[in-house]
Amino acid sequence: MLRKGITESFGAAIHALNTTQLTDGVINRSKRMMLDTLGVGLLGTRTAVFNKALKHSQMFTSDERSSVWGKSQMSLPPHYAAFVNGIAVHSMDFDDTWHPATHPSGAVLPALLALADALPRQPSGLDLLLAFNVGIEVQGRLMRFSREAYNIPERFHPPSVVGVMGSAAASAKLLGLSPAQCSHALAIAASSAGAPLANTATQTKPLHIGNAARRGLEAAQLAQLGLEGNPDILDLDRGFGVYYKDYSPSAMTDCASGDFRWILEDQDVAFKRIPAHLGMHWVVDAALAARAKLANEVGNFDLSQIRQVTLRVPPSKYIDCPFPATEHQARHSFQFNACSALLDDKVTVSSYSEAQINRPALKELLSKVKVETPKDNQPNFDKMYCEVGVETHQGQSHVARCDTFYGHWRKPLSQEDLVGKFSVNASSVLCTEGVEGVIEVIGNIERVRESSVLGLYLTMTSSQQEQLYSSM
Amino acid sequence: MISTLQRTIRPVWASRGLHNSAVEALKYQAPGDTVTASYGKFISEIKPQHLSSVVLHRSKRMVLDSIGVGMIGSTTDVFELALQHCQHMYAPDDISSIYGRTGTRLSPTLAAFVNGVATHSMDFDDTWHPATHPSGAVLPAVLALSDMMPASNKPSGLDFLLAFNVGIEIQGRLMRFSNEAHNIPKRFHPPSVVGTMGSAAACARLLSLDHSKCSHALAIAASLSGAPMANAATQSKPLHIGNASRLGLEAALLASRGLEASPLVLDAVAGVAGFNAFYEDYVPQPLESPNKNGHMFLLEEQDIGFKRFPAHLGMHWVADAAASVHKLLVGFGPGTVSPAQVKDILLRVPKSKYINRPFPDSEHEARHSFQFNACSALLDGEVTVQSFTPAAMMRPDLFALLSRVRVEHPQDNPANFNLMYGEVQVTLVGGDILKGRCDTFYGHWRNPLTNESLKKKFRNNAGAVLPSEKVEKLIDVVEELDRLGDCRDLLSELQ
Repeated sequence: MLRKGITESFGAAIHALNTTQLTDGVINRSKRMMLDTLGVGLLGTRTAVFNKALKHSQMFTSDERSSVWGKSQMSLPPHYAAFVNGIAVHSMDFDDTWHPATHPSGAVLPALLALADALPRQPSGLDLLLAFNVGIEVQGRLMRFSREAYNIPERFHPPSVVGVMGSAAASAKLLGLSPAQCSHALAIAASSAGAPLANTATQTKPLHIGNAARRGLEAAQLAQLGLEGNPDILDLDRGFGVYYKDYSPSAMTDCASGDFRWILEDQDVAFKRIPAHLGMHWVVDAALAARAKLANEVGNFDLSQIRQVTLRVPPSKYIDCPFPATEHQARHSFQFNACSALLDDKVTVSSYSEAQINRPALKELLSKVKVETPKDNQPNFDKMYCEVGVETHQGQSHVARCDTFYGHWRKPLSQEDLVGKFSVNASSVLCTEGVEGVIEVIGNIERVRESSVLGLYLTMTSSQQEQLYSSM
Repeated sequence: MISTLQRTIRPVWASRGLHNSAVEALKYQAPGDTVTASYGKFISEIKPQHLSSVVLHRSKRMVLDSIGVGMIGSTTDVFELALQHCQHMYAPDDISSIYGRTGTRLSPTLAAFVNGVATHSMDFDDTWHPATHPSGAVLPAVLALSDMMPASNKPSGLDFLLAFNVGIEIQGRLMRFSNEAHNIPKRFHPPSVVGTMGSAAACARLLSLDHSKCSHALAIAASLSGAPMANAATQSKPLHIGNASRLGLEAALLASRGLEASPLVLDAVAGVAGFNAFYEDYVPQPLESPNKNGHMFLLEEQDIGFKRFPAHLGMHWVADAAASVHKLLVGFGPGTVSPAQVKDILLRVPKSKYINRPFPDSEHEARHSFQFNACSALLDGEVTVQSFTPAAMMRPDLFALLSRVRVEHPQDNPANFNLMYGEVQVTLVGGDILKGRCDTFYGHWRNPLTNESLKKKFRNNAGAVLPSEKVEKLIDVVEELDRLGDCRDLLSELQ
């Protein structure tokens, strides 16, 4: 079935959207996303997967260079900077999540910053903010083309499907491509989309975001050189539709018409408090509440009293992992996160180290876990809930339920907590001046004349920390 | 600073903890007995002595054809564009050579990319059954990787050929996991699905990775696979092969550095799609270790189709059918067919949307148009490289014929390269009806090109960019490839 005009409308919109269309609501929300993404990315530069990708990327040389976040003496060819920085962002599953489900910012921001570094004329902060929002908007629109996209995925990992399209759109915007070139950027990017879900919960998952950023940027640059793809890529079932079982695309609103409304205005993102799959946040909040109830009644809380732990969660195979063996699996395990919360009364960045995962006490508790998937618990980030029930040998039983965790779009992180998360993350690699500099620049990005100042702060490391981690 | 690459020969060590819920799901299999693990073992254990003489012979023909096609492809616009892109981003680097550009070198993955683009740029490269273009995804990566390996440790010609065959074999095996793969594709362009995996396998083999890393190379590659059919018949199609080659190499390099991915990527785990994300039906089978009873390569049982002119494989049937009608019209002397003679042209072809184009707008579309290729062959007696030039495409005579074409899709003509046929029926103004039918075009695996024809095609192609002494030398070197002590003899003749 041939539909016409949808791809064209996207190309036209990417080209025509301008800064006057940015509303206060959207500016505010997208700045929070940018800050969180940078913090999470900086923290992620300490991971093993980031270092492997960095070593790999250092094989390549180029005239144009872009900075690597958290590294003061290093730069890479722009595509590879986008690649490694994107990997850093998703390396710990700590980055933002949207509804329908994807991790929107990690696919876009690294590409834009890498591109900005390489451009002969530095874009302004407002240019950057606009391009960022174009990249987010396109992703949101594309996900609304199918019902399949609304649920927790089973086939393709969403950032690999819509993320690369968002990166292409954002890069095309920053490059100032013509409407036709913008359409072709999307078409070229579509041929780089689609990674299977099986690689989530493995060390390769972060590459889905890294590659989305890199290949989207590449698509825009190829379009700039005149490469063409299918001009109806979004219209066709055998185009972008191949990634979905049901596919019903529609045109982008004409932004000149006055009817244009950013999706971000109506649907906020969720920011994570712990570096784990979004589903874990419900189960952790419920487990902490159940633990509190138990401690309240019993007085002295003793794990050995627990006879059984019952989790009532939505059905989703890739986050159902009774005995995770790696940090990646642990971040994708209802069981692990519930038990960590019960054991330690908190779940933090350090809960996923090998030492923590292998604790005998934790493993013992894991063996007492039962998972149920009630019919009314839908695998959907807007509708799911988690219940944690704890039964003791003495016969006491406590159940706690979490419908909306703190950080979810229905219960957003306060600005103070968001900045606090950023500060803790960024301080792991940047000196105080760098940390505060980034907060300042992002906070005022619409007034920043040259976006390069951001890059300056992102590489203001404290020399101690850089030396410590450079040998990994 | 380019780090030197060492072929790793590491002792086999137990793979890291298997995903326990997946173990539950596959209770009948002991950990390590997964399909994915069997593929990793196969790639790491296969040796040159497992290559039979038939496989050696057929694969050398594929290497020769692929190089020639890549060379003529280096004269296309899309190649130039891709090359500019790579050179713009990356300074010239003394590592991997580029088809048809003496003195130009690029970083290995980018060389694989542009050479892959060149190979598929004119749709002139080989086709297999089930359908994919196997060589273009593998050879550029193997060449680039060979260039990258240190001088003291270059692979021999036989190592090179073995890696190439592993890349082909893995593609063939993966396509046999689904019925969907046996027909002309509708959703994902096959080279973008299996080609990346083949490239990863070939490079893992050449790098001598241990079996666990070989599995991870495949899994990493799966996350880099998959491009939609809609971009076929556009200028972006060649990038599918270019990217398959480049990304497969990249996956192997990342695996060699220890990057890990899903140990179940080829196995079918309900609710978490692996490689089966790309197919509607999927039944994976493990590969037996070659150490026990040797190995029967698929290439032994199922040969490749080589194209005689640069267009989608389906075009070759109608071209041969139309050419026979041309002969009837013109007799055996030189003569031309005039549209004035022709009242109506009926094509009976399989149903396939992306190769049914009544009035193609670009060379890419023309290479994917039953109508265009039938009419060109009817007019000229054959379809050649020149048939797709702007001048040839804009001929009024050709347009006149195109306006008289009707297309039918008989029920007995399936969209399957092993079963389809092409029929051309021309009704003349006087009322006479002339018919031509082709069941198996010359070049199809059932009617393979002779060695002479293959060499002739290579000479025409490579001769577009290399002097004839080099062309002849290349033919000799590839012929002797399994006896070459050092593949540098091949690499040095490419530029």
